Amino acid sequence: MQNLLHNPVTVKELRGRMRGRRAFVLLTGHVLLMSAFIWLVYLAYAAAANSPFGPDANQAGKVVAAAVLTIQVFLVIFIGPAFTAGAISGEKERKTYDLLQTTLLPAHALVTGKLLSALSYVFLLILAAVPLQSIAFWLGGVALSELILSQLLVMVAAVLFALLGLFFSSLMRSTIAASVTTYTSALFLTVGVPLVAMIALSFLGPFLFGSGSVPDVMQVFLIHAGVLLAATNLPAALLTSEIILLEEGTLWAFKTTVGSYTVWVLSPWYLNLFLYALLALLLYWLTVRRVRRVADK
Amino acid sequence: MNETPSKIQNPKSKIIKTENLTKRYNGLTALDDLNLSVEEGAVVGFIGPNGAGKTTTMRILTTLLKPTSGRAWVAGYSVTAEPRQVRRVIGYMPDTFGVYDDMKVWEYLDFFAACYDIPPAVRAHLVDDLLALVDLSHKREEFVENLSRGMKQRLCLARTLAHDPQVLILDEPASGLDPRARIEMRELLRELKNMGKTIFFSSHILSEVADVCTSLAILEAGRLVAFGDVATMRQQIRPHRVIHTRTLGDVNVLLERLAAVPEVAEVATGPEMNLPPGAVRFTFRGDEAALGRTLAGLVSAGVPIVSFSEESGNLEDVFIQMTKGVVS
Repeated sequence: MQNLLHNPVTVKELRGRMRGRRAFVLLTGHVLLMSAFIWLVYLAYAAAANSPFGPDANQAGKVVAAAVLTIQVFLVIFIGPAFTAGAISGEKERKTYDLLQTTLLPAHALVTGKLLSALSYVFLLILAAVPLQSIAFWLGGVALSELILSQLLVMVAAVLFALLGLFFSSLMRSTIAASVTTYTSALFLTVGVPLVAMIALSFLGPFLFGSGSVPDVMQVFLIHAGVLLAATNLPAALLTSEIILLEEGTLWAFKTTVGSYTVWVLSPWYLNLFLYALLALLLYWLTVRRVRRVADK
Repeated sequence: MNETPSKIQNPKSKIIKTENLTKRYNGLTALDDLNLSVEEGAVVGFIGPNGAGKTTTMRILTTLLKPTSGRAWVAGYSVTAEPRQVRRVIGYMPDTFGVYDDMKVWEYLDFFAACYDIPPAVRAHLVDDLLALVDLSHKREEFVENLSRGMKQRLCLARTLAHDPQVLILDEPASGLDPRARIEMRELLRELKNMGKTIFFSSHILSEVADVCTSLAILEAGRLVAFGDVATMRQQIRPHRVIHTRTLGDVNVLLERLAAVPEVAEVATGPEMNLPPGAVRFTFRGDEAALGRTLAGLVSAGVPIVSFSEESGNLEDVFIQMTKGVVS
């Protein structure tokens, strides 16, 4: 931990990022925009509620929490990588990469420093939303465990997407190329994978299931495949886990019967955590390998 | 490359050593069997046409590039087997280097000092000392982007000194500088030479190299065409010394005395030879002792000599004689 705090790259990056009014203005703008969005969502929900006693507070709390979470998900998937996609390619463009390579700074310290400085700012933006989340508590309808779990998922995803940007930044010579590949990969992981799965299912469905009823084994397979698919995708993992919590009253797993089979269906959030953590470790390792000097390989 | 991490014999005497160093890129030979031995404390001017392999050599010596074959050591450490130890003893300044826009001058030096594992307590004093050395103390709180090109170059040189390296490898340290900044850089190199640093630098400006360096390495098309101390190289291309002398008395007396010296030849004087009144130019075929005796003879014979000097061989002549303008 001592080493992490004294990492020269982290200190340099944070010093530069937090200097002057830029960081303060950006953070204030972020909180103001988020507040405006949540206020609009709440107004829209209240206008749509046709109860003579006004909108249901519990439901309103859920709507507010979902709105904040939507912004956080967008933030980690699309804004987070912006802080890392130019982190290493920028050093190459600025011609400072060789200077760093001839110092004693190890490759893992450079990568960790860049990652920590980017993440600390992303986490600051995420934490800035916590007071807004507290409105959901005030209205009710959201449990503490739901809040902690959702924030955990968002933070692990933030690490993964930041590392995705860092990896492509180490791979490419220009920041533009690194940004394009990073956003293409992030879009594929978030939108592409479910889209491909849906298209594949609509095409293969008639061949797999025929015109009659779906066989039990196939149904069991589809349930597990669906959970796994949801686990690869942050919004889907959050949504599916919430549905399982509401419908089945569990955060972990529930039992269901498919024909003659009894199936344990897992909540996708911990699969998501495991997958994203594994992918993040792989990307970290690959990035360090890329950054390692030729003489050290 | 199979190489055992062992220090070379007597590493103190040979601070940089290369053995058959070769680098090929897709069939193109950038560096061909380079053999160099640089003594500690030497200032080596590394010259050659564009594309001769100077930067390739420097990048191998600084562990940024792996040689295709051959070996190289810096301060006795192998650049391929012990790269971390090599980085500890070298300070490298590339020909094109960048600076961080959003950093202050002291922060820039502090950051690189931290990258060399220098503890924070030491860094505060170190930064001040380095700034004083490169005469940038007054710019301490200035943003790096606001510095002139010459100041940035000096700042980058200060950065290379952060960990007190034994060897400085400088790729075109004076490129793109105005005349004043060039003179300042030259003075700085002299100061570093006096501090006992071994300096290995490339340059296109030969007069600059001649002013500062003790040895010269000329590279062409990836091959070392000449290596040695500057005086010896000048001697090689011009075996006879050309002496300029001037008397306050009768120039004919001086001419008579010179005619009696067997090593003197090709004596010229007068305005038709573009020489001022009383001045004589002649070729001397003897050694330094004979030259000394000649001067002593003139003075003891009562010839009022006011100047007596050897014409310095032009480094451009050395370069032109040694190279053919071939690029690999």
